[in-house]
Amino acid sequence: MSASDLPTKEANVLKGHEGAVLAARFNADGNYCLSCGKDRTIRLWNPHRGIHIKTYKSHGREVRDVHVTPDNSKLVSCGGDRQVFYWDVSTGRVIRKFRGHESEVNAVKFNEYASVAVSAGYDQSLRSWDCRSHSTEPIQIIDTFSDSVMSVCLTKTEIIAGSVDGTVRTFDIRVGREISDNLGQPVNCISLSNDGNCILASCLDSTLRLLDRTTGELLQEYKGHTCRSFKMDCCLTNTDAHVTGGSEDGYVYFWDLVDATVVSRFRAHASVVTSVSYHPKDSCMVTASVDGTIRVWKT
Amino acid sequence: MDERDLVFYGTPIEREEELSSRKKKAVAEASGQLRTLPTWKQEVRDEEGRRRFHGAFTGGYSAGYYNTVGSKEGWAPQTFTSSRKNRAELKQQSILNFLDDDEKADLEGQSLATSTQFDTFGFTASEVARKQADKEQDKRPSAIPGPVPDELVLPAAESIGAKLLLKMGWRHGRSIKDSSTDSLYDARREARKAFIAFSSSDDTKSNIDGDANHVNDHSNSLERPVNDDNLSSQYTPLNALQPKQDLHGLGYDPYKHAPEFREKKRSRVSGTQGPGNSKALTIRDNLFGSKSGKAGPGFGIGALEEYDIEDEDVYTTAYDFEDTVVQEVEDSSKPITDHKHRLTWKEPGILPGFKVASISDYQVEKFNAPEVPKDFVPRHKFAGPLKVEDKTAVPPPPDVPPPEDSNMKVLIEGVATLVGRCGKLFEDLSREKNQSNPSFGFLMGGNGHEYYERKLWEAQQKYKDQKKLPLPSDGKSSQKTEKMNAENRGKILGERPLERSSSSLVSPDVNLQSNLSDTFMKPLQFSELPEVSKPFKDNSAKQERFQQFLKEKYKGGLRSGESGGASNMSEAVRAQERLDFELAAEALEKANRGQQSNLSAQQSMDFLTSAGMQFTSAGVEQSKDTLDKDFEMKKMYPKREENQWRPSPVLCKRFDLVDPYMGKLPPPPRMRGKIDSLVFKAEFIPVPRIGDKTGQNQNRSSGGLQSSAQGVRDGSADEEEDEVVVDVENVERPVDLYKAIFSDDSDEEAETSKVSKVEDPEKKVEVANATLNRLMAGDFLESLGKELGLEVPPDLPPYSHTNQNPSALEKETTGLNPRDGSSVKMVAEVPKSMDDQSPPRGKLDEVKVVKITEEDRKQGSPPPSEDRMDRRHSKRQRRYDSISDSYSSSSGDDSDRDRYSSKSKGRRKKGSSSRDKKSSSSRKHSRRRHHREDVSREYSSSRSSRRDKDRGESKREKRKRRD
Repeated sequence: MSASDLPTKEANVLKGHEGAVLAARFNADGNYCLSCGKDRTIRLWNPHRGIHIKTYKSHGREVRDVHVTPDNSKLVSCGGDRQVFYWDVSTGRVIRKFRGHESEVNAVKFNEYASVAVSAGYDQSLRSWDCRSHSTEPIQIIDTFSDSVMSVCLTKTEIIAGSVDGTVRTFDIRVGREISDNLGQPVNCISLSNDGNCILASCLDSTLRLLDRTTGELLQEYKGHTCRSFKMDCCLTNTDAHVTGGSEDGYVYFWDLVDATVVSRFRAHASVVTSVSYHPKDSCMVTASVDGTIRVWKT
Repeated sequence: MDERDLVFYGTPIEREEELSSRKKKAVAEASGQLRTLPTWKQEVRDEEGRRRFHGAFTGGYSAGYYNTVGSKEGWAPQTFTSSRKNRAELKQQSILNFLDDDEKADLEGQSLATSTQFDTFGFTASEVARKQADKEQDKRPSAIPGPVPDELVLPAAESIGAKLLLKMGWRHGRSIKDSSTDSLYDARREARKAFIAFSSSDDTKSNIDGDANHVNDHSNSLERPVNDDNLSSQYTPLNALQPKQDLHGLGYDPYKHAPEFREKKRSRVSGTQGPGNSKALTIRDNLFGSKSGKAGPGFGIGALEEYDIEDEDVYTTAYDFEDTVVQEVEDSSKPITDHKHRLTWKEPGILPGFKVASISDYQVEKFNAPEVPKDFVPRHKFAGPLKVEDKTAVPPPPDVPPPEDSNMKVLIEGVATLVGRCGKLFEDLSREKNQSNPSFGFLMGGNGHEYYERKLWEAQQKYKDQKKLPLPSDGKSSQKTEKMNAENRGKILGERPLERSSSSLVSPDVNLQSNLSDTFMKPLQFSELPEVSKPFKDNSAKQERFQQFLKEKYKGGLRSGESGGASNMSEAVRAQERLDFELAAEALEKANRGQQSNLSAQQSMDFLTSAGMQFTSAGVEQSKDTLDKDFEMKKMYPKREENQWRPSPVLCKRFDLVDPYMGKLPPPPRMRGKIDSLVFKAEFIPVPRIGDKTGQNQNRSSGGLQSSAQGVRDGSADEEEDEVVVDVENVERPVDLYKAIFSDDSDEEAETSKVSKVEDPEKKVEVANATLNRLMAGDFLESLGKELGLEVPPDLPPYSHTNQNPSALEKETTGLNPRDGSSVKMVAEVPKSMDDQSPPRGKLDEVKVVKITEEDRKQGSPPPSEDRMDRRHSKRQRRYDSISDSYSSSSGDDSDRDRYSSKSKGRRKKGSSSRDKKSSSSRKHSRRRHHREDVSREYSSSRSSRRDKDRGESKREKRKRRD
């Protein structure tokens, strides 16, 4: 995949959020996208047609992260109100509210079977919530972090989380082992490569770091953008050929995965690009920004 | 003083002892409780505060409609009568028993009347009824003509008197004369007979003449009883029926509420007969009247009396019935005829009782439009400049030399400037606020009041002039403003508090005032940039926009969308430019701050421009540092650690995995430092977490050691625990406590152990004072602004005015990453911390060390030796604090709390078995310090992070403004 195939053309602008959009996520098949923001709403879009489908309102404060199950039936969201909300997509009702975090919740994800939601909070903990039972108590609290946990990723057998304490910790459920990779820099966001062998970690020294998961080796560093204080997403393209991430000056960067050169950079937003999400199959990307817009990029 | 000399106003407050306790209670309840209680809960108490018991069967103490029984405006309770002794008699109920007073009044036509019960002869009621009947009889074209004999009709109501009389043998129609009636009656009867007999032989009239007198006399005497009879019977009401003549339904009276129309209708009906005819008609059309024209025969003779022939003629001569009747009718018909008269007099169509007014009150008023003068020009011309009278009214106060105390001078000037700008209200408020503050005495007319007056006047003039600027006609004012340029104003306002505070030993008081005034004047400072600070000199248009940007920025106004750049710019370019502006503005601020440094503002601006707004790192040492740091980083990180971690069985189940620990003992507790557990065990009782069941299990197995440690970890922000910890350590190491309170645990402190500590407390006080003052002033301003709704210039980010070493400052200005300075983020002091983390210290680091020591001298004394790891950790912690805030920082006020609360959060370390006792204890102290910060976060820590924080705050502010 060459650099020319990168999604740099604006296909749609999704407007509707009032205030900053904090996250935008494609769903599992890439047909829809979800966004959440400071206006305490979650919005469901069809990014390809630029249509706003539904708004989910119940959060009392800003919504920081949202994730949808692979079957598109349930949502999970979290935010400044210290709660994790478990939604029904079609009715827009909150099925359950998981309370327990002692502070803001930064990120939340479903596992593969959508039976567990794992949330990462400012209270230095990861909490896993049971979506199957009616219990609203966390199944497990992981509090080995020494600072705010910013981002969480789930594989079939692992929970991976990045924290401001500079570590990316992998909790292997199958083995019962915690692997802590200390990057020495506050980790803002982590993202798994599509083959699941690497972790891309966005650090607050304006560097993206690519780690080999098995050895914990630092494979590559990607620089050029600005990331110093915002929680900003990064991700790999669908082909794992490029690394992409936003910048605080409104730019979106594309790096070559291997030689870490900036392949492309363009101004996507007027303000901080808080979130980038890549289509699972196509060369398509959505970006969200503090300026309140979500933009859909295609080749 | 004599009592007589005093004049008392109002009622004196009663002395407490004089009040009886009950009364007190009553008063208290009346004032407080009763008002708050709902009405149905309130209790009625008398003046003495006793509850009054009433209505035992209706609720005891509370009775009546909301306890109104017995109260002044409530009901009077009926006195109780025993029903055993007094059997209830059947009471005759009348409608009046069930009517309210007003309804009764309605019913009785508001007339004052004897109640029927005591109306012995039925006078009032029967009178009314009778009159009514008479009237009706008049109106009625009677089937039975003539007055109905009274005897035929019984009175409607039997009065008691009548009843009594009846019981005594009286009958209706009889006069109430004594027993002589009978005898008299007999006599009369005899006489009558005789008379009739006499008159019947009428042939000899002449010779009767003599007798006639006698007869007349006699008949008169005879007549009286009859008349009496008549009279008494007259008072019995006539129950005359009115035959139905109309076509309305039975009982329907169309004129029920409008009797006037009834009259009218009747007049129409009887119109043919003519008004006033009814009387004659009734009499003439009588059955009897038609025959004789007089009362019918047999009238007045009882049915049982035998009818004699003589009787027939009795009345023809002796008794003129008609007269009396006419007399009666005359009375009642008078108003009717009157009405009729009026009706005929006026034209028909007007209601009876009304007449057409000659002058109508109702008129359509017409207002003519005012006439516009011929020479009116529809444009207002102001006689003179606005507020001209203000100027003339207040003569300028005399120019007074400023007070000797320069601080006082500065303070006065600052306040005067503010008051001049914000109005008199500000002065009042500040006077109120600083009543006790001796340095504000000039507001109350104390020391320096004259000077303040003068300054205030000047400020007002200036402000007025500024407002008047758009009026070019006012030559004087423009001249004045021209005179008042930056230097002048700076001189007047006593600027450069930096110089003042830079002198090493200044009393805290001095700092207070200078900083206060500094805060007041900051906006002014920035509104007029020095000539040198033109970062975009090469591009005049851009420079202009930059000026505009600055102006708006410090005026605190919201920037409009266009103002950010030229209209032909694209959004992206505009945004970029805005970022540039922010950077430049920040650099300018710094330049202002560091004016005393060797580096001129010009130079710093050159830095800015030369770097093309892509500031990365300036200065050779910096770049070297970064290189070094990168190298280190690569070498050191990422570090991998492996630990055991036990997933909960449910989690495994949900992930569809086999629990790796299934059937195994719970994993060993996490290792912790000896001291940790020792210290925590002492006082802390663990609060089990509901969710952490596995953890609890572990605790059970490993004893209180683990649990207590965990508890602290869980509630690490809990202040009490921290207190406990510190207390325990206090006993051990008092010196460390001192450090914990007064020192920063960052690693810069390690190098400065040689710095004498003697200086420190002083500086601490100074710095703390400065911060306090700033906060005071800022708070003051802000609250005032809120209260007044005035446009108070925003509180600009304060700077530490402590003795800033020029070289350190220079480093500060140049070394600061401008990107970092862009307004959109919190500060993360990454580079500094990074180089501290490098264990091998080469020559390259020396410069750094120097810088650090300098900084540290400012900031306070560090602990002499600390564990390296620990320092790094704490340092990093600090950094994280600022970073992890980045989210919340954008959410306004919360950010501060978050920021500090994160500080107070204890840090946990795992696997720190290598750590010795000392390190852990010092960490504890650092926690203590954080805790203190948390508690006193209002006063903003005066330690090393302060400047960073301030910068961060300023940025946040800016961002807020921009948003």
